[in-house]
Amino acid sequence: MLQDIIDLRCIETIYEGEKTPVIYDINLKIKPSEFVAIIGPNGAGKTTLLETINGLLDYISGEGFVFRKEIKKNKSEIRKEIGYLVQNFEIDTLAPFLCKDIVMSGRTGKIGTFRFTTKKDWDKIWYSMGLVGMIDFANRPIGKLSGGEFQKILLARALAQQPRLLLLDEPFSNLDYASKIQIETLLNRIHEKYKITIVMVSHDLNFVPVGCNRIIVMDKGRIIMDDKKEKILHSNNINEIFKNGGRK
Amino acid sequence: MIELPLLFLIPSIIAAVLVGFVCSTMGTFVVRLNLSSIGYAMSHAAFAGAAFGLMISTDSTITALFFAFGTALIIGPLAEKARLQSNIIIGFLFSIMIALAFIFLNYSPGEAAKGSALRILWGSLFSVNYNDLLILLFLSFLILAFVVVFYKELLSVMFNRKLAESSGVNTRLFFFAVLFFTGFAVSLSLKLVGGLLVFALIINPTSSAYQFFYDFKKIMIFSPIIGT
Repeated sequence: MLQDIIDLRCIETIYEGEKTPVIYDINLKIKPSEFVAIIGPNGAGKTTLLETINGLLDYISGEGFVFRKEIKKNKSEIRKEIGYLVQNFEIDTLAPFLCKDIVMSGRTGKIGTFRFTTKKDWDKIWYSMGLVGMIDFANRPIGKLSGGEFQKILLARALAQQPRLLLLDEPFSNLDYASKIQIETLLNRIHEKYKITIVMVSHDLNFVPVGCNRIIVMDKGRIIMDDKKEKILHSNNINEIFKNGGRK
Repeated sequence: MIELPLLFLIPSIIAAVLVGFVCSTMGTFVVRLNLSSIGYAMSHAAFAGAAFGLMISTDSTITALFFAFGTALIIGPLAEKARLQSNIIIGFLFSIMIALAFIFLNYSPGEAAKGSALRILWGSLFSVNYNDLLILLFLSFLILAFVVVFYKELLSVMFNRKLAESSGVNTRLFFFAVLFFTGFAVSLSLKLVGGLLVFALIINPTSSAYQFFYDFKKIMIFSPIIGT
C-alpha cells in the first residue's frame, strides 16, 4: 500500500490576532502521484490549507504530516521537496532580476547553505525552463514579462526544485484563455511524465485539468466534499455553493 | 592654501574607499528592501549614543557605536513582533533616538562637550586612525564573504521573502543579517563621513547602478565600484 504523501488529522489553523479559525476539522490524505484540485468560493480557506501543508502557517490543533514527517518540526526540510506557486503574485516591473536567476532561486533550499550552484544545478534549471517553453527568456528581466510568461517562469521555478509535491495556488488566475490552456496542458504533461503529486487550488470550476482525478470542495473553512472529479462536477451541491458565492 | 603631506592623506583615502565599499554594497539590499531611511535612524542612534557618552563622562565614540549597533540589532525583530514594515520601525526608532539624544545632552556637563556629540553628524576623514582602518578592512572582508557565500539565498530573499521561505530558505535569518550588516557598516562609517553623508553613500551608488542594469548580480558588482 502506498504511503500517504500528505496526512492531515483534525487540523485547525488560525491567523495571528484572529479569534476564529480560518480552516477547521481538516482531515485529508493524499497519496503519491495523485492530482488533486481543491475548489471552493473565495474565502473558503483553500490558500490557508496549502500554506498549512507547506508550513508557512502553523496549525493550532491536530496533527499534520508531509512525506511522513511532522510539518511543524520539519518545516524547512519538507519545503525543499515542495514546489510552491503563490496566488496572484504581483510583478514588480522594476525588479532587477533575470528569469534564469528567479528559476535558480527555486533550487536555493535544495542546494543547501554554504554550497554554490553547480553545473548540475544549472542543467536542472535549463531543463525546467525548457519544459515550460521559456528557455529563450532566460536572460530577460522578470519585470518585462507578460502575466502568462511570468506564471510559466514561476512554474519553472517550482519545477527546478525537482519537487515530490507541487502546491499550486490559483495557477490560472490573471491569465487569458490561451495562456490558461497552455498552463493546463503543461500541468497534465508534468503529471503524466513525472508522476509528481499535484495539489492545485482553484475557484474556477471550468478549469480543472484533465489529468486531475480527485476534487476536494471547501466552504467556510472546512472540507465539505471529497470525491472523484466526475462525481463532484455533476453534483447538485456544487452548483449551489458556487451560485451563492459560498454562502449557503 | 595648506598643502597636506601625502603620507597623512593615505589612511584617509583608504578609509574613504572602504567606507564607500561597505556602504554601497549594503545599499544594494537597502534600496531593494525600501529601507532607505536606515541611514538616518542609525546616525541619530549614534548621535544619541555620543550624547549618552558625554552624560556619563566616557568615550563618546564607543557609546555612539553601541547605540547604532543596538539599533541595527533590534529593527528586524521589532518589525516582526509589531507586525509593521521595517521602514515604519526605522521611523519610530529615529524619533526615539533624537528625543533621547536631547535628553542626554541636557544632562551633559559643559557646553563645549556638547559640540563633540554633534560632530558625529558631520564626521571627519582626518580623524581616522590605525584601529579604524583595521576594523573597516575586517568589515569589508566580512561583507564580501557574506555576499559571495550566501549570494543565492540573498537573491532569493531579495526577490520575494515568501517564495524564498517556501523553497526552504531561512528568510528571517538572512533578513536580520542584512539589517545587522547595514547597521554595522553605518556605525563604523559615522566617525569618518558623518551621519548625513552616510545616507548618500548607501543610496546613491545603488540608485546609479539601477539606472544601467536589470541584473541583480551586475548591480551587486557595480554599486560598490561606483561607491568606492
